[in-house]
Amino acid sequence: MSIDTENTRAAAPEVSIRPQARREASRKAAASNPEDPTTATDAGRPSRLRAIRPSLLLAWLVLGLVLAWAIAPWLFTGHDPLVGVPADKLQAPSLAHLFGTDQLGRDLLARVIYGAIQSLTGALVAVGVGLVLGTAIGVIAGSTGGVLDAILMRIVDVLLSIPGLLLALSIIILLGFGTINAAIAVGIGSVAAFARLSRSEVVRVRRSDYVEAAFGSGGRFLAVLWRHVLPNSLGAVVSLAALQFGVAILAISTLGFLGYGAPPPTPEWGLLVADGRNYIATSWWLTTFPGLVVVVVVLAANRISHSLRGEKKK
Amino acid sequence: MSRITRTLAAATAALATAALLAACAGTAAPEAGGNADPAAPVTGGTLTYLEHQAFTNLYPPQAGFYPNGGVVNNIAARLTYQNPETLEIEPWIADSWEVNADATEYTFTLRDGVTFSDGTPVDAAAVAKNFDVYGLGNKELALTISEAINNYASSEVVDAATVKFHFSAPAPGFLQATSTINSGLLSPATLDLPLEKFGAGNAAAIIGAGPFVVSEEKLGTELTFTAREDYDWAPPSLKHQGRAYLDAIHLIVTPEDSVRIGGLTSGQADYIRYVQAFDEAAVESAGFELYAPQTRGVNNSLSLRFTNPLLSDLRVRQALVAGVNAQEVVDTLFTANYPVATSSLSSTALGYKDESEHLTFDPKKAAKLLDEAGWTVGADGIREKDGTRLSLDVYEAKPQPLSKQTLELVSQQLKAIGVELNVKAADAGSYAEDIKDPLKTPLYHSMVGRADLDVIKSQFHTKNRNVLLSNDTTLDALLEAVASEPDPAKRLEADAAVQDYLAEQAYVIPLFEEPQVYGAADYVEGVEFESVGRPIFYDVWLNK
Amino acid sequence: MKHVLARIGQAAVVLFVAFAATFVLLQALPGDALMIKFENPELGLSAEQIAALRESYGVDVPLPQQFWHTLSGFLAGDFGYSIQNGTPVTQMLAEAAPQTITLALSAFLLAVLIAVSLAFLSSLTRFAWLRGFLRSLPGLFVSVPVFWLGIVLIQVFSFQLKLVPVIGADPVQGLILPVLTLAVPISAPLAQILVRSIDEVELAPFVSVVRAKGASRRRVLWNNVAKNAILPTVTIAGVLLGELIGGAVVTETVFGRTGIGRLTEQAVSAQDTPVLQAIVVLSALAFVLTNLAVDLLYPVLDPRLRRLSRGTARTAPAATPVLEGAAA
Repeated sequence: MSIDTENTRAAAPEVSIRPQARREASRKAAASNPEDPTTATDAGRPSRLRAIRPSLLLAWLVLGLVLAWAIAPWLFTGHDPLVGVPADKLQAPSLAHLFGTDQLGRDLLARVIYGAIQSLTGALVAVGVGLVLGTAIGVIAGSTGGVLDAILMRIVDVLLSIPGLLLALSIIILLGFGTINAAIAVGIGSVAAFARLSRSEVVRVRRSDYVEAAFGSGGRFLAVLWRHVLPNSLGAVVSLAALQFGVAILAISTLGFLGYGAPPPTPEWGLLVADGRNYIATSWWLTTFPGLVVVVVVLAANRISHSLRGEKKK
Repeated sequence: MSRITRTLAAATAALATAALLAACAGTAAPEAGGNADPAAPVTGGTLTYLEHQAFTNLYPPQAGFYPNGGVVNNIAARLTYQNPETLEIEPWIADSWEVNADATEYTFTLRDGVTFSDGTPVDAAAVAKNFDVYGLGNKELALTISEAINNYASSEVVDAATVKFHFSAPAPGFLQATSTINSGLLSPATLDLPLEKFGAGNAAAIIGAGPFVVSEEKLGTELTFTAREDYDWAPPSLKHQGRAYLDAIHLIVTPEDSVRIGGLTSGQADYIRYVQAFDEAAVESAGFELYAPQTRGVNNSLSLRFTNPLLSDLRVRQALVAGVNAQEVVDTLFTANYPVATSSLSSTALGYKDESEHLTFDPKKAAKLLDEAGWTVGADGIREKDGTRLSLDVYEAKPQPLSKQTLELVSQQLKAIGVELNVKAADAGSYAEDIKDPLKTPLYHSMVGRADLDVIKSQFHTKNRNVLLSNDTTLDALLEAVASEPDPAKRLEADAAVQDYLAEQAYVIPLFEEPQVYGAADYVEGVEFESVGRPIFYDVWLNK
Repeated sequence: MKHVLARIGQAAVVLFVAFAATFVLLQALPGDALMIKFENPELGLSAEQIAALRESYGVDVPLPQQFWHTLSGFLAGDFGYSIQNGTPVTQMLAEAAPQTITLALSAFLLAVLIAVSLAFLSSLTRFAWLRGFLRSLPGLFVSVPVFWLGIVLIQVFSFQLKLVPVIGADPVQGLILPVLTLAVPISAPLAQILVRSIDEVELAPFVSVVRAKGASRRRVLWNNVAKNAILPTVTIAGVLLGELIGGAVVTETVFGRTGIGRLTEQAVSAQDTPVLQAIVVLSALAFVLTNLAVDLLYPVLDPRLRRLSRGTARTAPAATPVLEGAAA
């Protein structure tokens, strides 16, 4: 279950803790985020606040750069990511090849840059699947309540009770190998986390005074749901989504390690890390550089996730 | 080390093939640091051996899978012994044998005093039972027929020490078959077990008459072999007689390449299987020895499934053969231990015939052939004909070394002549289904090792592995001739005819001659391999 | 009491649905265990031999019948035999489970240790840079692929520095690096909860009072943080249990250890249905039991909840309000 790593699931533990404990609980949930945790209590500490801004800026810069790689990779490298020069195989990093070359003489940096689109799409699809399915289940369960709620949440329990890896691998086998299919598998693994979080948020908002008031003043169920409940429930969910973005990149990489990665020549990041690991003793750059890119992007996603949560609370 | 060098040198002489010299040069490299005049072998000690994969089944006919074979080879004795240097068949459990003129009757006289490790004698009845199972199978127990045995009819116990086998048609390959691990002799009680019971978790219950017994098993991860004190029936041609030198072998399954290599070079293991080509230099430069016995069978190659409409045209297949640069594959991904293939068979295989004239890399010729066949280059650089793109699929074959990288490089080469080769990956279930469909898997990456002429039939005959998914009756007839021609000289001719036919029809793209590469510490002496590169631990001793 | 019974009933339903869903999922996969087992070209079986073997295994039994057969077997405690290697599933699980449990428990303990050290060191240090560094570590810990961490740890500590053997090591030595590999990512959320609790305690009004009375900051933290942090820690412990087992897949593969994780991975790849079915039932059972336990433990740990759980029963729509929180 490295598929939905600790932070995904841990991000939702506040669910349906009682009203008084509510605010505290959402802080606890935030606490289980893997990010720089200094922001939560920084309200009265300007000195720390100053220290945060640059890191958030940096996080957005990282995502921006990676996004640019995905959109126009040819602007960033002159090398072909798929066709290498066999004679130049396994060259250490140099000015000509900043990240070195792989076993077929392909420029590793070019593969990382061109791989951005694969990895980002994969992560986005994974988050999308989890977000859409999970939030749908959670919102329906939370806003209707009763038997439907109980049934939906038991389904979520079933999802959680099947080992995540088994589920993910089975889905990939069912759908076939490929980045998108792996992403769907990872996404389904995160449905439960999204469902629980969004349900608890909806339940929380529903119980708040102004929603009670909206209902009380004769508001129709769906209208109130749409106008008041959803917008106020989404903050935590969006934050989880950002977090899940980094988790998905790691999860897809783990699938590559287990032999369920995208087929060649797709230079997807996770697979670059996984395939390069065999060369760790002889050509360290093959796994190290894509690994560092993954770490930096995941850190950036987590940083942004945290800031989203922080904004929500203000 | 000197021993293996001699082994290879002798084999080279015997086969008189120039290509082997490359392999020999590769394996002989560490000799300088080796022990030129080893002291008398020392008895005792435990060898730590790292295996790449866990064994799946110890039923000898299924021992072709290397992890299975590595176990069976050391716990099961055979009737005969194939000298890995000369490939001659020598006595082992059988003292002597007679074959009738048309190779339909084999009579073996057994050695005295041989016992299975459960105490049962290895007598004519036990041997007869073994071959009845391997030759005919046992449906009830799901025990399958060995692919090494053809045309088997029945056995006959002449007396306690004499057993006779009858064949429905000439079976010239049978004598060699009795030496392979697929014919490892097992206790009659073991052969009453269903196939299931030969699987993981039950290794200690598989009783043979070899120099070692499996004494302990940790499911899927570890196996301990213990030497049999009373083992006294090594092949008489060996210098070493009596029990094995080692007290025990500790086999640990270590799937991660980097961990196996690091385990060896850091001194935590003594001997490892499956050194990847890219790690060879690291192993050698750290002062360890590499052993690269050849598998002497059908080369690592791509089979062109001509029943796929895209490949039905001979010119297209010839173009693919000419468009693949096997030399570049070897130079880029492999080492001198992987000689470039010059036929469908390895140059170290029996019956090899050089077909390199059909296999030259010539992209211009390839382009011309494709032009002639009506395939013209389309907008995206890939050739088209009547709206169909010349796009072919191949699956990454997990058992082949660096299959994915090899196929990626081949794909890059074929792109240059306007052919698209999609390298696909799949889970085991989809793979097993799709490789049987020529439309889904027009190219198939495989090899097979066995030091007998029959190996080519195993690979290509429609009733065996049938890697071509062939419907070519001419090919089948040629292959049957190899398996049933009693006259040795004619049998060699028949084998050459198959290789000619495969090359002329451009049914296969041979890539390289596949070795099994092992690494060992310099104090591990007496490292030997059976004729297809499975380790023999009988002679191994620790010089430290 | 009625509440508890209902909870148990729901747990049983979850267990059954997980079982049935897995059965359907596995049947839907392309190919099957027998095909995978015998199509291995290195076994050298011909198409006819494979067909005969398949017949002898009775693959043509209709699915509902197979389902009933498997289900009744499980109810009787008979998990059947692995198709891949013929071993009784019970034996495979009995060999694998203790290994994984040892690994997971040790890793959890180490993770708690790492988390506590990180949280307190970062709060007590006088140096802002050290505080920043320590507090950014958890984020880093979960940004690294676990398999990569394992391989690097082996390379550095075992092969380069030769501090701990990984091959042929005795059981205790053999645990060191795998436990570390598994503990690092698990420690991150724990550390963050602790850091958060410390911050909360520091800002709490009563702290100023206590400190005004002369208690040292260190003492205040020690006395109050544990109390504050234990609830969320128990909450995510249930979650981490799943994570530990999942992380074990990768760790066990890298280190070549026997265990449930590796067994799962191998069984999926071989589509070894009986093994997978048993793993799912065990895992679902563990999930359900953990949740029940956490659920019952929760009010004990937090008197506030004990008081509330009666009061909120009417507003909380789910019958198992705390269960979700615990297992999310």
